[in-house]
Amino acid sequence: MPHSDAEVTVGEMLRRHGISRRGFIKFCTAAASAMALPPAMGVAMADQLAHALRPSVLYLSFQECTGCLESLTRSFAPTIENLIFNVISLDYDDTLMAAAGEAAESARTKAMQDNFGKYVLIVDGSVPTGAGGAYCTAGGHSAVETLREAAKGAAAIVCVGTCSAFGGIPFADPNPTGAWPVTAIVGDKPIINVSGCPPIPEVITGTLLQFVTTGKVPELDEHLRPKVFFGNTIHDRCYRRPFYDEGKFAKSFDDEGARNGWCLYELGCKGPTTYNACATVKWNGGTSFPIESGHGCLGCSEPGFWDKGSFYAAQSTALWGKAGESSPREVLELTASAVAAGAVIGVASAGVSRLRQHRSEQNADERESNGDN
Amino acid sequence: MSRLSEIPIRIEPPPALGGLGGGVTAILSELISLLERLTNSQESAAIDLRSLPMNVDDLAELRRALGEGEVRATLDAEGISAIRETKVPGVWWVEHRDRHGELMAELIEVTRMPQILMTASEEIATGARLLREQIALRSVARRPLTV
Repeated sequence: MPHSDAEVTVGEMLRRHGISRRGFIKFCTAAASAMALPPAMGVAMADQLAHALRPSVLYLSFQECTGCLESLTRSFAPTIENLIFNVISLDYDDTLMAAAGEAAESARTKAMQDNFGKYVLIVDGSVPTGAGGAYCTAGGHSAVETLREAAKGAAAIVCVGTCSAFGGIPFADPNPTGAWPVTAIVGDKPIINVSGCPPIPEVITGTLLQFVTTGKVPELDEHLRPKVFFGNTIHDRCYRRPFYDEGKFAKSFDDEGARNGWCLYELGCKGPTTYNACATVKWNGGTSFPIESGHGCLGCSEPGFWDKGSFYAAQSTALWGKAGESSPREVLELTASAVAAGAVIGVASAGVSRLRQHRSEQNADERESNGDN
Repeated sequence: MSRLSEIPIRIEPPPALGGLGGGVTAILSELISLLERLTNSQESAAIDLRSLPMNVDDLAELRRALGEGEVRATLDAEGISAIRETKVPGVWWVEHRDRHGELMAELIEVTRMPQILMTASEEIATGARLLREQIALRSVARRPLTV
């Protein structure tokens, strides 16, 4: 007989909460569908998870707008509450948890000690390093300090949202807080980037579920994103693609082409260069996605999307990767490649991280000395 | 202009969306292969409709092509699921909805019986235990009270 929740299997926890095996199979089938896994995997996943122990999960919120957590908590049903309380053991999330102050911080410390080397660390938001990290502090600790401490005992880090994955809007020029993505701070842990502004809820839960089921980091692309969700461009799977192939484009948002549902490429759609699952998983429980609502893709799951020119300029005229880009973006791409290589070959790239950190601090110092802040 | 009907408006025709086009025929062909596999090797399979770039018209066309069969089952677990056999024996259309009625997954299963309908072995054992407990309770209730 298990003595604590940490020793309780997912199946036992489901039974305690009155969730039937068939209800859980439904949830896993939906998750398998979202992960583009074979549909039969839903049943296999449910069987495997039912006998697995619930991993400890810590959710750290840094420089962010809480849109990613909003997305996650409006995930498909069985709701995230079920996922949180049955499949994972969410031991810390300062936005959702009832505890506050010292009680909340000691819950985090205890979970880190009890599950050292085994817990999943979810990071939401970029990490400001300017002014000694003073732009984002909680419990007297800066975000960068908290991240470094929490990363030490993590089995893996899941960066939820473009801010933690690539820096996002805080990282956009002129980046007044010296914001960086997690890959620039932590270099010696497996990192999974679930980008998007916000990410699709099914992609967040699907990634967590896949990690919990297999205990392994899924196959990742060059930006450390799970290939099952980020393996195709929006354009590849867009239902308007036949119009692109036929050369039928909307020229304005209210012309005949727009009314006929033609391709939005000339109105600035970034679908051709944006890797995400919006065209298949869609939003709001599979209802639609931005292109289906008549607006082009903004490319929000790609690094530096905020700095890539107008959302309404066709890609053929937008200056993606224009000459003279600011150095942080180049460093980010270098960092992502280095960490990706580290994750693939299993070699710690702490040195790279330190170098990036040194550069980021230098960068912040320079900005401060220039009076930019 | 005194009446609403006199206001000059032009009603736009519904948009002609892209979608699969001839893809419905491709899905039907794939179903033939999967049915042959089920017959020859007893191997079930499924097509995840949400992984395909299908629009509303494609789905409607596919539904029409497969039609309605004899069996319909409703599963009430964390929301309602509609599981029905199409007029093509062995081809099942499965819709899983959440507690709010939103579609979570939509599949075409090629199988003798969708696995989610079958009772698991451990549940059968639990069922037998529950019946034994009920019999025990009944016998306690019938025992005469002694003072």
